[in-house]
Amino acid sequence: MIEILWFMVDVMLVLLLLALAWTTCSSRDVMRAVTLFIAMGLLLAIIWARLKAPDLALAEAIIGAGISGALLLSAIRDYPSTAIAVDRSPLMHSIINTFTMALTIVMSWAAWHGLNMSDGVRLSEQVASQLAVSGVSNPVTAVLLNFRAYDTLLELAVVLTAVLTVLILNDKRADSTAPGPLLQGMTRWLVPLLVVTSGYLLWVGAHAPGGAFQAGAMLAAAMILLQLAYPSIHQGFNLYLLKILLVIGIFIFVLTGLWMMSVNDDFLAFSPAHAGTLILVIETAATISIAAALTLAYIGGRPTGWEADNHGNRAMTEKGGAE
Amino acid sequence: MISTQLLYALAGVGLFAIGLRATLLHHLLLPRLLALNVCGAGVFLIFIAIAYAGIEGMPDPVPHALVLTGIVVAVSATAMALALGRRLENIKSDAIKSEATKSETLKSAAVKPEAMNDE
Amino acid sequence: MSNAIIWVIMIPLLGSLISIIWSRYASLIAIISNLVALVASTAVLMRVYQSGPFLHELGGWHAGLGISLRADALSSILLVMSMTVISAATFYASAYFTDAAKRARFWPLWLMLTVALNALLLSGDLFNLYVTLELLGLSAVALTALSDNRAALQAAIRYLSIGLLGSLVFLAGVALVYAGYGTLDLATLASLVQANPLSQVAFGLMTAGLLIKSALFPLHFWLPSAHASAPAPVSAALSALVVKVAVYILLRLWVDVFDLVLTLSSTMLLGILGAIAVIWGSWQALQAQRLKLMAAYSTVAQIGYLFIFLPLIAALPEGALQDAAFTALLLMALTHGFAKSAFFLSAGVIQQYCGHDRIAELGGTARALPLTIFVISLSGVALIGLPPSGSFLGKWYLISSSFQAGQWWWIPVVLVGSVLATAYVFRILGHAFGPGESIGRVLNRGREEIPALILALFATLILGFGSAELWDLVAQHAEAAGN
Repeated sequence: MIEILWFMVDVMLVLLLLALAWTTCSSRDVMRAVTLFIAMGLLLAIIWARLKAPDLALAEAIIGAGISGALLLSAIRDYPSTAIAVDRSPLMHSIINTFTMALTIVMSWAAWHGLNMSDGVRLSEQVASQLAVSGVSNPVTAVLLNFRAYDTLLELAVVLTAVLTVLILNDKRADSTAPGPLLQGMTRWLVPLLVVTSGYLLWVGAHAPGGAFQAGAMLAAAMILLQLAYPSIHQGFNLYLLKILLVIGIFIFVLTGLWMMSVNDDFLAFSPAHAGTLILVIETAATISIAAALTLAYIGGRPTGWEADNHGNRAMTEKGGAE
Repeated sequence: MISTQLLYALAGVGLFAIGLRATLLHHLLLPRLLALNVCGAGVFLIFIAIAYAGIEGMPDPVPHALVLTGIVVAVSATAMALALGRRLENIKSDAIKSEATKSETLKSAAVKPEAMNDE
Repeated sequence: MSNAIIWVIMIPLLGSLISIIWSRYASLIAIISNLVALVASTAVLMRVYQSGPFLHELGGWHAGLGISLRADALSSILLVMSMTVISAATFYASAYFTDAAKRARFWPLWLMLTVALNALLLSGDLFNLYVTLELLGLSAVALTALSDNRAALQAAIRYLSIGLLGSLVFLAGVALVYAGYGTLDLATLASLVQANPLSQVAFGLMTAGLLIKSALFPLHFWLPSAHASAPAPVSAALSALVVKVAVYILLRLWVDVFDLVLTLSSTMLLGILGAIAVIWGSWQALQAQRLKLMAAYSTVAQIGYLFIFLPLIAALPEGALQDAAFTALLLMALTHGFAKSAFFLSAGVIQQYCGHDRIAELGGTARALPLTIFVISLSGVALIGLPPSGSFLGKWYLISSSFQAGQWWWIPVVLVGSVLATAYVFRILGHAFGPGESIGRVLNRGREEIPALILALFATLILGFGSAELWDLVAQHAEAAGN
């Protein structure tokens, strides 16, 4: 009985998801498309929770729906028109439709085959057996920051590359409307809450859903909110400090890895006794870097004096259009 | 009745296909980015469906970690793409503006050959 | 030095971070990082040469649970080539960018590109390959956009969109592999993968994603504008390395993991697309008005040659003949890497000197920039496939393998491609040696021209004469892998 109810819930979720995806992709208006996309992100977060992936549900809500949504919304203004037109000839249209239909059938068949082939265990047993020596008790954190830490290191490099690009491009944005008192009032309450929650997520990631990425993104969300409510708040920020913040995540990560290489003769091989502390240190540095990166990626533009080789206090963020 | 795993895996394939179709159809940056993100969400859903081990059992944490990485990579790429697009729009509008001021300059030079030109 | 494999990846990464903070010394940091990484990559090659392929399990976790790095003949040779080209282009770039601001933006991204290339070549894990592909794509796009003009940004946006699509399609294949086989480690998968519908679909998806990244016809349309509008050192890296490593991944997956899955007909399809790429790319190169655009189309053609090898390798029986074809493929990839990078670096010198790179107006450059034109001639020799360049041997074995495998139809393609290459190379040289005014602007050309010369010499002479060593090394790999 319970299974049937669950199945009905699942079918509803899936149908709603597909409907949202379809309308997002075929919408004629940019604003509507982005709004539907954010809604789809939130629905995905619910689905992750349903599929017993709470770390992902947090991450999707904060990053997938929140930060992506903010980025996309702020981009709408800078486009000449809000209408979306599809420019393909009818022949191309039908080729693409047929092709994707065929691909769907083939991939579905392969997916069914794959699920039947496997005994369902895959890597979960290995993770479970080594969890005790990994230094944390949240298996996802163990995989991210111990077993497959190298991937996480490269991923931080990806984030840095993206934010470096945003900074070098110096893209100018259209003027935004002045923030009202409601936003400013709310921000005064929300930002401290967000910062504290971010710290909590970082700490609790070792034994419950959470971790550096969720924490970093939440901190970034707090900074973005602050920026929206008080647009001139970024002025006066020490540039040298900014560069350090961006870089510190990967830096600590690599140095820890190399230190472990000299101690344990293997890169990123955490000694089981200290693994928990090391992971927490790395995660803290990573949180700071991710927060700085995502905030800068949202704000855009290039801080004045970014390229100046100074170690002094060059302040001011330059944003072409007046803010 | 198909298993939960298969249901969500097929949903993932569906999302992937919807996103892929839209990526191929659109040529403007913003709709394409949305479509690529939908496509990515589809792949992530396939991973998590594979990881699901029933309402009682513990899911496989490795795909969870992989998808977390994927989500962060996707948002980074989105941010970068949007900045590139915005910069291109800047360049285009600067070009239009400088064309406009150039033709204004030529016009006023033709109308008032003795007068000084001001930018 | 057993940890050289780690240093190769970590040194450029640390260099990138430091060059963000200390942007005044960024050039020096970059040169030192890349030279140290070059030494480390040679150490990896030496180790493979002496004791065979080896696996390095990161974090000490056994393969499957953790990520492993893998060095064998194929990857270590490509690694050394990659670091050589990058180091030469690093010297070049330190003189090429005259604006200090542009330099500060360039170096962190350039070092990140190095990290991505090295991490990709050494990766032994499917999802890790995806992450390195993304890092590579994003840094390549960022470097392309550095030119900051309309053409470069349009090319960069297209490159990014297509690149993201390719990566996602690849990742879909990875998801299916994990669904069926429950592991992401390449070495483990090599023993698990069987020919069944799941493997075929998964491998098909991964191949499709990689074909987009390696710009095989008809998925090449993003390449010419991107490579032509990027700054010269970036174009060198893009043409010589970034598209190559996608082909490398395809080879690695095919030879090691999915060898049972592959069918002759699918490789034949790839070969046909490669043949079309050769003809079409060479023809477009001949028509091109700009030097860098010509070089970009030439890359499309040369990638086509690599794909023509695939049906031959699949059709030939295991043994000396198949190994010869495989080594010839590697030799062509290496030669093109060195030759095309030398070509782009020289094109950059010409562009700085003349202020443009229009081929028709190159008159007088042979007198003004003799060394640069010499380098272009040398790379031209390698692109055409004349002896003693490495690509001569490569094409020779391509033709002889076609005979052996009974697939004689590739031979006219190779011949026509070589004729067209001769035509477009001589078109450049004809204009360059023609009459014209030399502009006479003084440049610091030594730091730019000498690296280009070294790369061209590799392509034309060293690889040609030193290919015996290559043969030994690859034969060793073939035995060890037991394909």
